[in-house]
Amino acid sequence: MVNFTVDQIRGIMDKKQNIRNMSVIAHVDHGKSTLTDSLVSKAGIIASSRAGETRFTDTRKDEQERCITIKSTAISLYYELCENDLAFIKQGANGAGFLINLIDSPGHVDFSSEVTAALRVTDGALVVVDCVSGVCVQTETVLRQAIAERIKPVLMMNKMDRALLELQLEPERLYQTFQRIIESVNVIISTYGEEDGGPMGNIFIDPVIGTVGFGSGLHGWAFTLKQFAEIFIGKLVAKVVMTPEERCKKVEDMMKKLWGDRFFDPETNKFHKSSVGPGDKKLSRTFVHLILDPIYKMFDAIMAFNKDTVAAMLEKLDIKLDAEDKEKEGKLLLKAVMRRWLPAGDALLQMITMYLPSPVTAQRYRCELLYEGPGDDEAAMGIKSCDSNAPLMMYISKMVPTTDKGRFYAFGRVFSGTVSTGMKVRIMGPNFTPGKKEDLYTKQIQRTILMMGRYTEPIEDVPCGNIVGLVGVDQFLVKTGTITTYEQAHNMRVMKFSVSPVVRVAVEAKNPSDLPKLVEGLKRLAKSDPMVQCIIEESGEHIVCGAGELHLEICLKDLEEDHACIPLKKSDPVVSYRETVSEESNQMCLSKSPNKHNRLFMKCRPLSDGLAEDIEKGDVSARQELKARARFLIDKHEWDSTDARKIWCFGPDGTGPNMLVDVTKGVQYLNEIKDSVVAGFQWASKEGVLCEENMRAIRYDVHDVSLHTDAIHRGGGQIIPTARRVLYACQLTAEPRLMEPVYLVEIQCPEAVVGGIYGVLNRRRGHVSEESQVMGTPMFIVKAYLPVNESFGFTADLRSNTGGQAFPQCVFDHWQIMPGDPSDPTCKVFNIVTDIRKRKGVKESIPALDNFLDKM
Amino acid sequence: MTDAFSSSSEAVLHRGLDVTSETQTPSEDLVDRYQIRETCDFINNNGFQKVALQFPDEVLVDSVPIATEIERNTSAKLFILGDTSYGSCCVDEVAAEHVGADCIVHYGKSCLSPTTRLPLMYVFQKRPVDLEGCAAAFRELYPDTESHVVVLYDVNYSHVVDDLRAHLAPAYPNMVTSTLLLDHCHGNRAQQQLVDSGEGSDGEAVRLFGRRIVLKAGLGVLDYAVFFVGPEGATLRNFMMAWNRCPFSTFRPSVGIGRAERPSASRALMKRYYAIERAKDAGVVGILVGTLGVADYLEVIRQLKETVRRAGKKSYMFAMGKLNVAKLANFLEIDVFVLIACPENSLLDCSEFYKPVVTPFEMEVACNPDREWSEEYIIDFRHLLPGGRSHVPLANEQEAREEVDVSLITGALRTQGLSCDEATGPSSLVLRNQNLTVANTNSAASFLAGRSWQGLERKLGETPAVKAVKGRRGIAIAYEDEGKASG
Repeated sequence: MVNFTVDQIRGIMDKKQNIRNMSVIAHVDHGKSTLTDSLVSKAGIIASSRAGETRFTDTRKDEQERCITIKSTAISLYYELCENDLAFIKQGANGAGFLINLIDSPGHVDFSSEVTAALRVTDGALVVVDCVSGVCVQTETVLRQAIAERIKPVLMMNKMDRALLELQLEPERLYQTFQRIIESVNVIISTYGEEDGGPMGNIFIDPVIGTVGFGSGLHGWAFTLKQFAEIFIGKLVAKVVMTPEERCKKVEDMMKKLWGDRFFDPETNKFHKSSVGPGDKKLSRTFVHLILDPIYKMFDAIMAFNKDTVAAMLEKLDIKLDAEDKEKEGKLLLKAVMRRWLPAGDALLQMITMYLPSPVTAQRYRCELLYEGPGDDEAAMGIKSCDSNAPLMMYISKMVPTTDKGRFYAFGRVFSGTVSTGMKVRIMGPNFTPGKKEDLYTKQIQRTILMMGRYTEPIEDVPCGNIVGLVGVDQFLVKTGTITTYEQAHNMRVMKFSVSPVVRVAVEAKNPSDLPKLVEGLKRLAKSDPMVQCIIEESGEHIVCGAGELHLEICLKDLEEDHACIPLKKSDPVVSYRETVSEESNQMCLSKSPNKHNRLFMKCRPLSDGLAEDIEKGDVSARQELKARARFLIDKHEWDSTDARKIWCFGPDGTGPNMLVDVTKGVQYLNEIKDSVVAGFQWASKEGVLCEENMRAIRYDVHDVSLHTDAIHRGGGQIIPTARRVLYACQLTAEPRLMEPVYLVEIQCPEAVVGGIYGVLNRRRGHVSEESQVMGTPMFIVKAYLPVNESFGFTADLRSNTGGQAFPQCVFDHWQIMPGDPSDPTCKVFNIVTDIRKRKGVKESIPALDNFLDKM
Repeated sequence: MTDAFSSSSEAVLHRGLDVTSETQTPSEDLVDRYQIRETCDFINNNGFQKVALQFPDEVLVDSVPIATEIERNTSAKLFILGDTSYGSCCVDEVAAEHVGADCIVHYGKSCLSPTTRLPLMYVFQKRPVDLEGCAAAFRELYPDTESHVVVLYDVNYSHVVDDLRAHLAPAYPNMVTSTLLLDHCHGNRAQQQLVDSGEGSDGEAVRLFGRRIVLKAGLGVLDYAVFFVGPEGATLRNFMMAWNRCPFSTFRPSVGIGRAERPSASRALMKRYYAIERAKDAGVVGILVGTLGVADYLEVIRQLKETVRRAGKKSYMFAMGKLNVAKLANFLEIDVFVLIACPENSLLDCSEFYKPVVTPFEMEVACNPDREWSEEYIIDFRHLLPGGRSHVPLANEQEAREEVDVSLITGALRTQGLSCDEATGPSSLVLRNQNLTVANTNSAASFLAGRSWQGLERKLGETPAVKAVKGRRGIAIAYEDEGKASG
């Protein structure tokens, strides 16, 4: 631990090249928080006033009880490199002291949104992988996000102690395991990364360059090849005096020899490129011989309680134990020895400072992804050059509750300029567009604060490249936003989440007069979580939508205890559905306006596979340039080139995965009614005809329109309801279907219980897509698709059927059409539709086609 | 030529209305059912010369025989008023004044809203009730003879209430019946006592929707169950909304069945709460004038306009007769409508409307930070006025600050109240922004800017000049050439 006054911290903040903003990301239970703890205990900055108090990252009571991280937490570390090590930094440095802002993120998929928020404000990521279970589904999800945000990854191979003690893997097998994990990580990087790494350059991880660490967070030891290379260099050329640069070169050369198909001949002390040495001698791999073997020997000796050997080895390795540690035995002794020998803090902090980018480096290439405005305006230039004298540009990525109920710190990163207490700033929400007043507030920042784990310290101002909390702007932001002093600034791009809120619960105040408190609580909840959605439905129900059961559970608990503070009634969780069609409309649908003077002719059909997803990803969007969009649709989805240029709009909300396309020829006054038809389309696509759920993946074509010649008779009043009716008629004549959300489930378990898993999945309409054994372990990984609706209680069910040996991770994957006609009473879908309609308080049967379809 | 611009007048004359008109009453029942004798007395005693008879659509079939009958017995000149502009439950004073009438006789169902201008008589069109059956149903629903029950009834059944009370009162000492408040009619010029001032609280007389109920001392409405004689309809619904914590049961004379009503009001209230949220989200409010008869409607419009302005929203006023979906959807700029109407017509089901329609009370909840949403649901807008039972004065303009919160419908932020941070009055100097000049940020202008079609466009040079060609003939409902081709 390092004790600093706020002034000292403020001093380091100005040395932008020596700042590292990084997040720790991984699959759940791969050991992020434990690893973070070992870093914090090594280098955590605590304000002098707080010295002595501990427990940093798990700030919430329930986090400690459940042993699971729920919210991401930021902590600052301070680390000094020695002169020799400074030579390893290729991006330039300013002095030896480094400020590392580390964000520990949750690993459970339900809280992925917290990871997204953490990634936005950081430039580098420490990806932690449990070397026993390997790369898991959530590793892939978070890594993919990191790559998409242009966050540079480094890898930490964690839980080596398990590999050695529990699995007792042979050294060569362990090397193979490492190699395979590194390959899988690199496959993900190359799949989702830009060609040739894009402007970030090469971002593949490689032990040879030092971007892979090995070790055990729990035992507090870790190393990279650099540590061992240095030891050998030290032995080989102990006498020679070298400049740091020369030494660095030597070490780097040495590192290259320590990984891959390099073999070592202990007799000649020579390195070879083949496993067969001179005289047909079997040689062992350098990594195995020079690195793993000593570690294995140490483990064996200590665990065999072989005191003499241990003492000899300690002597040889020059490890000095405290008197207290010398008394220890077995695992405790092992921990103490390994910590002395290969301290995790140094290895990881060196890896972080040397190979993760500083804000100066990162903002240059991240700017175009971060900023929506032109790449050459003052704000963009300020971000690119990380200039603390440029106009302020800051992104708020999440809201952190304060001790003051109902108020929040706005947590974010300064990308350009300097933010200071009392500054008057423009606060721009996600709906802000330059030149408009919508979602724009000009307010004063009451206070800028440093967020250090649980504690906060007021600070006068914070320059760009740093992470900071603001007081007094929470009211003007919902979840995220941009804060600037530049009047022509555009928004910083909103974050894209990898999960969707597909599970929902209706809440009600036990005492009806508490309704205003409930509403107030919901508003606070909506602010405090990046992902949760709190809405009032037309039926008057108050709905909380979350990513999964666990996420909802936490949200509802927060709502009841912290935000609303009233007793609540909660419904069982249900899922959101979507309405779609499976065929083209079987007839040309006609609806007449109320005055019978205007007629709309339309048809609908399903969007081609993948187009709805492309719209959601933003590959096809309403804001896109017309020609680029048309080109994409023609090339990828085989659209007709005239149609592709005549998309009227997307919906619902102007951005959703349904389209309205004009395929008319030479219709008079068509442009006049476009707004009205679009309004009708937004309305209909928000509330489909089956059960008033959103529509999805439907394309509506306007085929013909006949209009009254007099403008007053073709106004909105005539067209909007008519457009809605004809859209419903189209939907009903095109084999309407219901879509349900489906999870991708990954289950890790021993082979013996795989059968039990199949049983549970079958009962719940799940099907297995992949089953594989984790190489070198008896563990199996089963991947399956499971309808979200069937996932409630799945974890508990699975546990009881496998004797508690199987752990599932569910992440929303796609929408799937449910088989069966919703109007057929013998189908399951019929009941679902009826239930939804009942819940919404509308007539239980689907309205008949003749309500919407008119005759010529 | 006229046909090109509007539908033929023929069509309007032959257009059917969906009114279930009753069959004509046989002449022998006429005098009794329509209280013709009382009507004649009312006219003769007051010496009215011109009398307007206002009929709802379904009673129009009987209008001529009734008028003939009255004309025979009085010297007054009679006018039959039909097709009332708003709801036929309201007294149409404006139409009556068009013919210069001295008084109005209102037939059929009435909302009993007080009027201000003309002397008035209600004729409720008595409906038959099976008194025994009704009493039996009552006994079955309230086996405990000590139950506290309020008896309410539709105006059509007011004639049997005294008999019903006589039947039940001996057994049920705690039963109270409501009386209709008709003091503003029968020639009593409207008393300016529009206030049903706080009588409800001290447990004596409660006045609601033109009814007066005298409760036992020390008890409130909440202590009572409600027994309603009449069909399902606006009257029952209003009472259920207003007394949303009382258990209701009904007796429907048309089928002769009594039953306990399911408490659906809390659901209905939640639905209304959704409408309030929409009203809070709105930037532009349309005030719909849905009555010209109910007293104080001008007053409430004035108050609403001010409330809406203070909340930083813009308001427009519309008078458009009977509402329908098409009429309201013509005004895309409007985010929410407030309907000012008599209690029976106030609650509209919004789901078919493009934009929600709320009541003045709901608009006040949305706009006036001092008014809190509580159990009390006010349907009659007169209670909101100064001096009314539930009047909440607007917050002081100086104190009212801009308030920002999250909308639970859009998930975005919204601002309430006048923004007072920068005084950008019409005459104040604003620094011109060189890069992005926005002419106007007012809501209607920004709506126009967002439209793809903004009116006549010249498109100079874009459209090639062509010779005139012969177009289609006829109107859009069926062009002349079309009938042959497609049938």
